[in-house]
Amino acid sequence: MFEHLDPRSSTPLYAQIANRCRVAIAAGELHPGAALPSVRHLAAQLRVNPATVVQAYRDLEADGFVEMRQGAGTFVREVAPEGRARERARQASALVRQLLADAGRLGVSLPELQAAIAEEIGVGTS
Amino acid sequence: MSNAIEIHQLHYRAGRTFEIKDLDLSVPAGAIYGFLGPNGSGKTTTIRLALGLLRPLAGRITVLGDTIPENAPHVLARVGFVPEQPHLDPVLTVRETLRFQAAFYPAWDWPWAERLLRQFELQEQQPFGRLSKGQKGKLMMLLALAQRPELLVLDEPTDGLDPVVRRDVLSALLDYVSQRRATVFISSHLVHELERFCDWIGVMDNGRLITAVPMERFKNGVKRLRISDAPPTPDSPPFVLLAREPANGTTETWLVRDWEPQMTRYFESIGAAVNDVIDLDLEEGFVELLRTFRSPRS
Amino acid sequence: MFRVMLYSQWKWCRLIVVLGSVAGFALPLVSVQGAARADSSPLQAGELLQAVQSWGTLYPVLAAALGLLVAIATWAPDHRGRHVHALSLPVPRWRYVLLRFGAGATLLAAPVIAVTAGALLAAWGATIPAGLQGYPVALAIRFALAVLVAYAVFFAVSAGTARTAGIILGLIGGVILVQIIAGVANIDLDLFGRLQVVVLNWPGPLAIFSGRWMLIDV
Repeated sequence: MFEHLDPRSSTPLYAQIANRCRVAIAAGELHPGAALPSVRHLAAQLRVNPATVVQAYRDLEADGFVEMRQGAGTFVREVAPEGRARERARQASALVRQLLADAGRLGVSLPELQAAIAEEIGVGTS
Repeated sequence: MSNAIEIHQLHYRAGRTFEIKDLDLSVPAGAIYGFLGPNGSGKTTTIRLALGLLRPLAGRITVLGDTIPENAPHVLARVGFVPEQPHLDPVLTVRETLRFQAAFYPAWDWPWAERLLRQFELQEQQPFGRLSKGQKGKLMMLLALAQRPELLVLDEPTDGLDPVVRRDVLSALLDYVSQRRATVFISSHLVHELERFCDWIGVMDNGRLITAVPMERFKNGVKRLRISDAPPTPDSPPFVLLAREPANGTTETWLVRDWEPQMTRYFESIGAAVNDVIDLDLEEGFVELLRTFRSPRS
Repeated sequence: MFRVMLYSQWKWCRLIVVLGSVAGFALPLVSVQGAARADSSPLQAGELLQAVQSWGTLYPVLAAALGLLVAIATWAPDHRGRHVHALSLPVPRWRYVLLRFGAGATLLAAPVIAVTAGALLAAWGATIPAGLQGYPVALAIRFALAVLVAYAVFFAVSAGTARTAGIILGLIGGVILVQIIAGVANIDLDLFGRLQVVVLNWPGPLAIFSGRWMLIDV
């Protein structure tokens, strides 16, 4: 789940970690009530600053995805289907934004991009 | 105590060419401070001076609230030190080395030492001199951690180790830091490794500390900009212009520091356009910083 | 702390200490071999004294060798690691030096005890001709002091940096060189003899090494 964290990306590490958790929760991989790895365990496993993990978990808590219980750990909260759908939509928007930015940098026009998307989708479903 | 290490106006000379002059360095308590610099920049010497292994010509050094070198033994009881070169008795076995260290450190944690011994898969009966480089590295980290220090001073602890051993060593380090709010001062020239977990960065070059800032500021602040239609002499930009190189046609590449996103407005005001803002990772930022620092800027 | 220091010292020195103890135990016994077969005639007494005296020259050699080797072995691990380990330990330097010195001295007790045992055994076991007496205890004490002096001197030299040791060896080498040149040029210059006189005569500390080492004497 946490493979290929990129410290070089403009997205800070804590945001990357929080994002992975959000995606997993939205996709239903992490069930409500499931415990996230402890700060200590995750920091050691990913070789990141423990403060980074704490910040990621706090972010998730602020968004209502998890609950940090003193002494017990961090647990996934029950997220309503609308909440999960909202998160998926957010992820989709972020993907599109990235795609458009990359396309712009490479000089690919919008019609060219749309044509490529249609072709790929066609290939995918054939 | 707000700073785990405080170095003020340090002056040291060795031989005819090497000199550390007017060095001011502060490591906040609880921070993970990455000490970067090319080989020969003075990182190891600074560390040795900070721990009282060398005597400075001038300057004041305070570690964990006590002055060095007067109170060095008292301070060293709370400092876990991993030096650049393996320094232990080659004749003693791993187990005997542990026993030797344990006798000197009152806070030694035997259960944890045993756990690390198993985790690192070290052969207890092997003499230190016959261990591989990776095993020596792991043992030295084990010794530094098992004494439960308040401050860890690590001089290129993963240098020359294979990636698997590097991970093991850094995992154990971060595991300890999570348990106990210890301060870590780690020097390395493996920039990408430090990028993951340091929250402060100090860069040393040729005996001088050329920058010391929180990690986020260092990473986010240095950017490469693709600019078109820039005037030959821009007046008072809000950022620090480190270098500028022509790319093709009217576009140029600018290397800047202390960049913030809203500064694109500046370019509009001078009739130029920002085509792209490229993030530099820590390694590129470090290399560029050194390059510009070494060549005199006009 | 002393225990672990002693243990690590033992690991480095054990061969030296064991061999030295064996040699130290054997030496007095070998030196009085003749007395076991003696029939107490005055001629035998002279032979006995000669044997004791000639074997006796080995005591100072053994003492010096033990002192030298144990001192070198004491500082060997520190020199290897360029003293980084010692300096990073939370003990003041003087205390560390004292621990090292004490550990080496403790180990040197073994050959001293061996010599004492051998001397006592030799003096009591031998049939000593009339007019002669055994001085095992005096010999053992003298040996102990000689070992201590040798150890202290070589310990101090070894404790210094490689540069200091090099300077000292260089000086000795220089004196030897001058002596050789003087000999070649036929100049009557006895540097070593003069040095010997100065250093080895009382009250110089090395005086303990000079003179005769007599287990059995008049």
